[in-house]
Amino acid sequence: MKRSHLLHAALLAAAAVLGMSAPVPAADIDTQRLLNADKNPADWLTYHGSYKSWHYSGLDQINTDNVKNLKVAWMHAMPRSTRGLQSFPLVADGVLYYSGSYNQVYALDGATGELKWAYKQKLNEDLVAKQTHSPYNRGIAIGFGNVYMGTLDGKLVAIDMQTGKFKWETKLVESEKLTVGFTGAPLLVNGKIIIGSQGGEWPYRGPIFGVDANSGKLLWTFFTVGGDENDPARKTWGGDSWKTGGGGGWMAGGYDPKTNTVYWGTANPAPLYDWGGAEWKTKGARPGDNLYTTSVIALDPDTGKLKSYFQELPHDAWDFDSAVGEFVMLERGGKEYIVHANKGGFVFVYDPQLKVQNVWQGVKNINFVKGIDPKTGALIGRRDLAEGKHQALCPFIAGGYSWNAGSYNPGTDLYYKVGNEWCMDLEVIKTTPVLEPMAQLNIGSNFTVNKTTPDGGKARGHVSARDPITGAVKWQVEYAEPPLASLLSTKGNLVFVPDARGWLHALDARTGTELWKHNNGQGHNGGIISYTAKGKQYIAVATGWGGLAGDDYKVLYGEPWTSMPTDQGTLVVFGM
Amino acid sequence: MRSRFPGAMLALLVVAAFLGSSAVAAEMNGPMSSTKKPEAPAVAMPQGQPPMDPKAGLDVEKLFAGTCGWCHSGGGRMAGKGPKLMDTTLTDAEIVQRIKVGKTGAMPAFGSAFNEVELQAIVKYIRGLREDSPPK
Repeated sequence: MKRSHLLHAALLAAAAVLGMSAPVPAADIDTQRLLNADKNPADWLTYHGSYKSWHYSGLDQINTDNVKNLKVAWMHAMPRSTRGLQSFPLVADGVLYYSGSYNQVYALDGATGELKWAYKQKLNEDLVAKQTHSPYNRGIAIGFGNVYMGTLDGKLVAIDMQTGKFKWETKLVESEKLTVGFTGAPLLVNGKIIIGSQGGEWPYRGPIFGVDANSGKLLWTFFTVGGDENDPARKTWGGDSWKTGGGGGWMAGGYDPKTNTVYWGTANPAPLYDWGGAEWKTKGARPGDNLYTTSVIALDPDTGKLKSYFQELPHDAWDFDSAVGEFVMLERGGKEYIVHANKGGFVFVYDPQLKVQNVWQGVKNINFVKGIDPKTGALIGRRDLAEGKHQALCPFIAGGYSWNAGSYNPGTDLYYKVGNEWCMDLEVIKTTPVLEPMAQLNIGSNFTVNKTTPDGGKARGHVSARDPITGAVKWQVEYAEPPLASLLSTKGNLVFVPDARGWLHALDARTGTELWKHNNGQGHNGGIISYTAKGKQYIAVATGWGGLAGDDYKVLYGEPWTSMPTDQGTLVVFGM
Repeated sequence: MRSRFPGAMLALLVVAAFLGSSAVAAEMNGPMSSTKKPEAPAVAMPQGQPPMDPKAGLDVEKLFAGTCGWCHSGGGRMAGKGPKLMDTTLTDAEIVQRIKVGKTGAMPAFGSAFNEVELQAIVKYIRGLREDSPPK
């Protein structure tokens, strides 16, 4: 800190002596400021709000008493928003930065929406046209004078925060062969950028990278499938299946500075559905536990060395990633906990060493297991799917929980989270990984989403407020269609729910009572934050429909999704 | 398991070249461009794989369950993320064209993934779809 301030002062002095106009100082977002992100609610510095991943704003200018007066302050349209706008804005010193499809980034005045700069990454467009989970981008990292973004064609790029000029890029993944690249947000810790590649259904090994935040130099690579050469994880893959095992880490993780530990959720193995069925330990496409897929892993950000891990679903046979859940870090009774949602609809509660403290079920319609032992995390009564037809597997492939983040509010001590109640029929079929000329999805089944659920209801969603450790329900609000956007809770005792139809709801965080709503004109499938600019609180939400989970809404629910655009993206910002 | 991956095919696996920095000097590029310098990626694909055996033919049933079924539900028999393919009103040529070039934001382009014979096999599969197609 001191050195950089001195250097900055010296540069200003030099500029003055030389008669030059003083350069605009680069925003000084260093490690210390990132560590204290949760203590400065004026900014929103990281994807998950802070390293604690609370998705909580400590601002209360907008609160339960006056939220009825909330109005649109400004909007910004993102061009070429194929598959909508799925990203999370970040804010530092009153400037808002956000990314969108085809790796575009915009910097805007947080009070007025006036453009400061626009950046468009030059992409291999032929490759992008061949990608399935593309061309959206879900977020960026800021700090060290840069905006960092993973690209669809496998690069990490650094853009000057002040000018929007390209600084450097590092090619990390050979997307031209592997098809996938990056869509998730990077995490900046201690001068390193941590970013996980897409993977899951693609036949590769799902790497997570550590890159020097200043130079762009690759420091380490961690393979979520099989680890390094001598890693015992490799023995959890029968035959050569580790070479095409999927994995990856397509959402940003969390960080505990006390122990210098990065926590990351890993994706599912490939093929998603394994015809080995109940004999999966010795037969099928990928015999064994398949480490480190569908796991939470603790990494040393300096070296990429694995400190500890817990595999939430050994031999995941249902595509219920651990990549989806944010790592909510909190203390209770002098003890530290990490709360992490799995796509299967369960929430795992860990200690910092990833030892299971509790597991609770957040979704009603689950039958891929009969349960999970809350003391050990062991699966009880697995429903393994042999080759052939299977009815009403719950949840649906899009998950009981999806990648949209929940929110923990320290004022209410409640964890707010969208849950999805939906199921599917499928036919498991033996497949062969396609690697040439470029890798293709390896699903292992044909499937169809069901309009009804085994409990006699319809495919639907809910937002629940629960004790994050025990899962005890304080309140729950039902939605006819699962909201697919992230939640925000605030010190003003509000929970914001951006829904799939286009309504942004403000609920009382204590009771779930709806206090305000506004129709943004298209579904939400991205992030929501709060910040201040020129001393005034704003709420910024991504609008724009067209994500992979949302693509099923046409069939599930008809209108308004049949006619809803899937190529529009607008950032809508509200103020008093 | 071995039979799925001929030994030689993956023996030449180039694991993470770990080539370290491939960062590029900022002054070479503006905001609308990025480096043109070819870079060795940190993670490379298995190398030296033999080409697919054209005589083996394309098992479209497998292909659908591996790649297409993500969007085309029920093996193409029902609408899902993508449209129902059974009883499509598109001509054979239109089907081939859609598979080749895709549709922005909806379907990837598979033009480099399949040859003409394989494309015709996919068309034949789509034309043969029936509600009561027996499960394999």
